[in-house]
Amino acid sequence: MPRVLAPIVLLIVAVVASVWSDRPLPRADLVIVERAEVNTVDPHQASWNQDLRVARALFEGLLAEDTTSADQRLLPAVARAMPEVSSDGRVYTFLLRPGLKWSDGSPLTARDFVYAWRRGMLPETAADYSNMFMHIRGAELFAARRAEALAKFAADPAATDRSSRAEELWREALADFEANVGVRAVDDLTLRVELDSPLPHFPSFVAFPALFPLCEASLSRYESLDPRTGRRVWSNAWARPGVLVGNGPYRLTLWRFKRDMRLERNEHYRDASLPRSPTLSILNIADANSMVLAFRTGAVDWTTDVAVPYRAEMLDRRREFWNEQAARVAELSRNGLSPAAIASALPPDPRNTIHAFPSFGTSFLNLNCSPLLPNGRPNPLADAKVRRALAMALNKREITEQIRRIGEPAAGSLVPPGSLAGYTPPAGLPYDPERARRELAEAGYPGGAGFPPMEFLFRRDGGQDLLAQAIARQWERKLGIRVLLLQVESRVFGERLKSAKYMVSTASWFGDYGDATTFLDISLSGSNNNDRKYQNPRYDELLARAAGLADPAERAAALSEAERMLVETDLPLIPLFHFVQVYLFDPTRLEGLSEHPRQIHTLARLKRREPAP
Amino acid sequence: MIAMVLRRLAVLPIVLLAIYTLTLALAWAAPGNPLDRPEGRRPPRAVIEAMQKQYNLDSFPRFYVSYLESASGVRWVRDRLAGPVDPGRPVFDLGPSLQYEDRRVNEILADSLPVSMTLGASAILLATFIGVGAGVIGALRPGSWAGGVSLALAMVGISLPSFVTGAVLILIFGVWLGWLPVGGWGTLGQLVLPAVTLSLPFAAYIARLTRMGMIEQLSSDHVRAARAKGLPEHTVVLRHALGNAMLPVVSYLGPATAYAMTGSFVVERVFRVPGLGEHFVNSVLNKDLFLLMGAALTFSVMLVLFNLAVDVLYRWIDPRISDDRA
Repeated sequence: MPRVLAPIVLLIVAVVASVWSDRPLPRADLVIVERAEVNTVDPHQASWNQDLRVARALFEGLLAEDTTSADQRLLPAVARAMPEVSSDGRVYTFLLRPGLKWSDGSPLTARDFVYAWRRGMLPETAADYSNMFMHIRGAELFAARRAEALAKFAADPAATDRSSRAEELWREALADFEANVGVRAVDDLTLRVELDSPLPHFPSFVAFPALFPLCEASLSRYESLDPRTGRRVWSNAWARPGVLVGNGPYRLTLWRFKRDMRLERNEHYRDASLPRSPTLSILNIADANSMVLAFRTGAVDWTTDVAVPYRAEMLDRRREFWNEQAARVAELSRNGLSPAAIASALPPDPRNTIHAFPSFGTSFLNLNCSPLLPNGRPNPLADAKVRRALAMALNKREITEQIRRIGEPAAGSLVPPGSLAGYTPPAGLPYDPERARRELAEAGYPGGAGFPPMEFLFRRDGGQDLLAQAIARQWERKLGIRVLLLQVESRVFGERLKSAKYMVSTASWFGDYGDATTFLDISLSGSNNNDRKYQNPRYDELLARAAGLADPAERAAALSEAERMLVETDLPLIPLFHFVQVYLFDPTRLEGLSEHPRQIHTLARLKRREPAP
Repeated sequence: MIAMVLRRLAVLPIVLLAIYTLTLALAWAAPGNPLDRPEGRRPPRAVIEAMQKQYNLDSFPRFYVSYLESASGVRWVRDRLAGPVDPGRPVFDLGPSLQYEDRRVNEILADSLPVSMTLGASAILLATFIGVGAGVIGALRPGSWAGGVSLALAMVGISLPSFVTGAVLILIFGVWLGWLPVGGWGTLGQLVLPAVTLSLPFAAYIARLTRMGMIEQLSSDHVRAARAKGLPEHTVVLRHALGNAMLPVVSYLGPATAYAMTGSFVVERVFRVPGLGEHFVNSVLNKDLFLLMGAALTFSVMLVLFNLAVDVLYRWIDPRISDDRA
């Protein structure tokens, strides 16, 4: 018997030792939950919301979005003031604040921007937002030449001394950048940027993480040349807790994969009043139930998403609470308070912890505009009349009220109304089944007769099945078209969209920067994201014309006209609804959450208020 | 015995190579491009092509050979012979993760495997105690209430999926009673609920094995002889019957421990345990080839090693078992 017990005792000791060695940290001043793990802290790779939020906490750009008010201004951040722009709108001069420091105490200069932006343009970095750099003079050619040189190098098997040849190519690229790309550190505190053509929303790019600075002295220790491919590579060790050098209000002190991330105050940050919570912990909770439970037990101050099955019911209960408080709500709103401000002025109540904010994203349907279907037969959707009929046959309010049930506004346009100062999106097509049937008949399919069965592609996750079924039913009932629902894995979905192997599909788009082009560029003939294969030279021309207009009002009118083509005449896509972002937090406890219409939040401004004694 | 261990270890690379080839071929054939975003913005075409080239995702033979070289340590050895290598570079390099851009598969495994192993070891310990206890009681008192409870436990453990048992346990002990944390990792308290949840199916199976073994042993000749000798009942049961009835349990414990220690997708998700389990599922959905291969190879190595450990344990517990049964 002791022989049997020995391994058991050994196992117990091992378990206890392992748990003991992994002592938990004390609760941070502020705890937030992200449903998806932070993928990267590298501003050049960040593209998901959670990544961008962290990038904005660890780094800071020349300019920053003002998240303290709803009027969507940009504020100078690393820059001392808003940039000086030349009269032709092509040259921006940024003056940096003097005495700025990186989190390791070393000085931050304009050269750190040049270094970071060059890295962002290099084809080997494969930055998700490399497009944002391509408006800078010479950037596109620089990237193309470098890509070509690398391709040639990789294809040449004979080269013997690859290391020194790679070194030579790199020196050539550096010289090319120096000579031809319009980014220059005039001195330590002056950065001059030259664009190919005027781009009124360039400052909005500058406030985006892809254009944040990187500490050259720190990163250059982790870069090397790969002799096999000739590429410049950065070992990801630079982005480790304790190693990563940033210039944001926080520094990264701990990052345990799939578990949590801990940020602490950066003592060298330029504004001593930030961050308002000295330590911040970001938990990763993927499970829908666990996320809500963690919030209910009080372990968490803010969850940035709520799982679909919980949303509608929790929002219903909140509405119930607001109805009970109707008199107080009416009084507060007479005083001019925003809904968010009213929420925090109401007495604490567990029902009042779910909040839905309008976000900068739209759900829509892709309609494949190519003349032929993948099976070689003619595509009925190539006719704009058919696409308009499909759009007008949809009762979007029924979808948002009965399927989504979380108060998302039905969408007529791609750009959410009110999300951009100075831009009014078109109204879009109305719900009009009568006109829809007429258009369909004119296209040669009276009552749906002769219309081939229509494939409707959607993803496995994200609760899209109910949505797809509801839409299919409406089309079948109102237009007499037969719809085949086709549900696929996410990766397969992406591939089929890209190669246009579908007729109709679900889709969504979230804007990146404060300009309508962030939604409109995806329908340009040459865009990577033009999954609809929509080609209309007039549309491309309108956008090109808008880009050349210096007057903001004229430009907005031109962009609005282009959007009208998308949502009223050509319909390569059918807007369904504008997303809302659903959060959990106690409005009487959490302060500093932004009311920015694009849901940009500054983590450094969040603070948990202790309950009144 | 040493010869047996060496023989098994010598076969390990061949087993791994077969698993590697088969898994990679299947993963490669699955549709979808790992570098593509399912929805949302796409990087420029040139960027995708450059990344495909960098990771050898454009050619199966090239990927097969290159990954094999770096994962098996051949590349490290070759570079080491050619000159000094970076001291931080791992010998067995399982590559980068395509999904989590800042992480290498080695780092992901180094973070999550110890967690899964701790949880798995606790679950197996619990399962052994609960299972053997329930099995013995079930065999000794078939009609009694204790026997009924042990049978019910076995039924629940086998038939209820862990996302149900886990949620019920959270609801009772985490939310209603407030005794234990609802999730997370790092304290003994946080270990209890996931370990219990994970242990139930194993406990149920062990209970069945023990019960069947005990019933068979209790009616065997040597137990009758022991009773006839006038030995006290507990000596008969513990020494003469249970000792032999445990042998099938011990052989089940090998693969069971490997399964439990490489993590469970469901239990880890429900209790927010940052273990290895979820990578088995998510790496396939994301087509994260490197992570998928890393997880599959880790699991294979553990499966082989734990089976080996069980065989060693077998001989240690019962020295009469000879090598030629290996």
